[in-house]
Amino acid sequence: MSAPAFYPIFLREMLLFKRKLIRIGYLFSAMVVPVIYLITFGLGLGRSVQMNDTDYLSYLIPGLVAMSSMTNSYTWVASALNLNRLYFKSFQILIQAPVPASAVMVGEVLAGMVKGLFAAGLIITVGFFSAPHFSLTPLLGIALLLNCFLFASLGVVTGMITKTHEDTATYNNFFILPMAFFSGTFFPIEKIPDIFRPFVWILPLTHSNIVMRSQSLNWESVASLVILVGYAMLFFITGERLIRNYSE
Amino acid sequence: MIRIRGLTKQYGQIKAVNNLSLTVEGGTVFGLLGPNGAGKTTLIKLMTTLSKPDSGELFVDEHDVIKSPLAVKKIIGVAPQENNLDRELTAYENFLIYAMLHRVSNHQEKISSCLHLVDLWERREELVSKFSGGMQRRLLIARALLTDPKILFLDEPSIGLDPQIRRQVADIIRRTRIDGRTVVITTHYIEEAESLCDRVGIMAKGTLIATGTPEKLKATVGQYIVESVSAEGKLLQSICRTREEANLAARNANCQVVIRKSNLEDVFIKLTGERIE
Repeated sequence: MSAPAFYPIFLREMLLFKRKLIRIGYLFSAMVVPVIYLITFGLGLGRSVQMNDTDYLSYLIPGLVAMSSMTNSYTWVASALNLNRLYFKSFQILIQAPVPASAVMVGEVLAGMVKGLFAAGLIITVGFFSAPHFSLTPLLGIALLLNCFLFASLGVVTGMITKTHEDTATYNNFFILPMAFFSGTFFPIEKIPDIFRPFVWILPLTHSNIVMRSQSLNWESVASLVILVGYAMLFFITGERLIRNYSE
Repeated sequence: MIRIRGLTKQYGQIKAVNNLSLTVEGGTVFGLLGPNGAGKTTLIKLMTTLSKPDSGELFVDEHDVIKSPLAVKKIIGVAPQENNLDRELTAYENFLIYAMLHRVSNHQEKISSCLHLVDLWERREELVSKFSGGMQRRLLIARALLTDPKILFLDEPSIGLDPQIRRQVADIIRRTRIDGRTVVITTHYIEEAESLCDRVGIMAKGTLIATGTPEKLKATVGQYIVESVSAEGKLLQSICRTREEANLAARNANCQVVIRKSNLEDVFIKLTGERIE
């Protein structure tokens, strides 16, 4: 039985990822931002924050899991795709190969998910040791997978539409960074001024945070799951279309 | 066989390929010759499904490139002008991914034979980033042959190579022709076009300005060139159809002259008034 069409694309990314992992710098870069947040907000400012039903660190860890899985899934895919398309030209090998655009999309997204899950795994490990009430719930697992899928798909979209590598950083600064701060990662969205609330509800990371922090299914987590699935489908279909219609 | 009718590809206001028509017979080596910016690479991109044309018809081995790109991708091999190997992967890994993408059935065997072909089997486990430019180019050509393509596209295969490696690349192309494949090659090396190609198409500003065998094209211009230097230090050239005509022109010149055989660059200069740079 032959491997599925997406497998070589996924394998290629994993071989490159393996090389990066060997370098200590990669591990450091994947960890450094969440660890800084963990120390600053969790152990520093967080000591004075009163939460209703849990300690602040246990509240913060799922948010950091969502944030780091988002940034790693998104950034690695967007950046790699952009570089491979515009500078190294290795993306063109995929376009000239007899594989459907959907297979290229699946391969790229799965590879992005692995990178996101890897970074999330590091935060979860830290959470087990540092946050007394943090636990890995099935809902957190589902939301994590959806979050990685969604943002890896968005990474493909960005990687396909950006015209220079600098554009990737611009998208990051305008969309990803604000999302990391205003989607309930560090504080409950109820504390955001009413005027900004509708904007916050549009952000997919808000819904990842809601589901990751839910202990059981309720109307709010189900609605957020539906929204996450909707976003995931939208970004995946858009990415697939962009690959299919690719032309130099 | 490749059949092109009225093909146009425009980038903004610039027509990179402009209403181009061409037929390349199966089992031949066809050379696209022209200066930088003539549209050679764009034409290759169109034929290899990397670009979509704005208008026109394009058939590669009876498959419509626009309507059935997947069918075309199954029968072509491409060595692009720009090195698109994964530098952070080994030579073997690059070939493995390519073979899997193209569903090469006996890929271990094929990878071995292609890496042996370019004398790089011993270095298969090294990262491509450690390879010299010439080695990377040889890898690109060998990788294009990995799928046993019916039609092979080589975009400037010997650019930047030293003469020894260029000869090796030329040998690979000759061997490929013996295997019965169609080869489309772009180059601005005149000698390469003359020695390797059965037919040559001369491109300028997105259009084909002449096609034919190298001999036929040269014959349209004249077989001999008489060169002299004017009093102002300018190189003067006159084209002669026969050796006798060239000898007569040399005798009539009141200075030192050189008589040489014409080449495809002379054809290009005659047709466009410009040199191939």
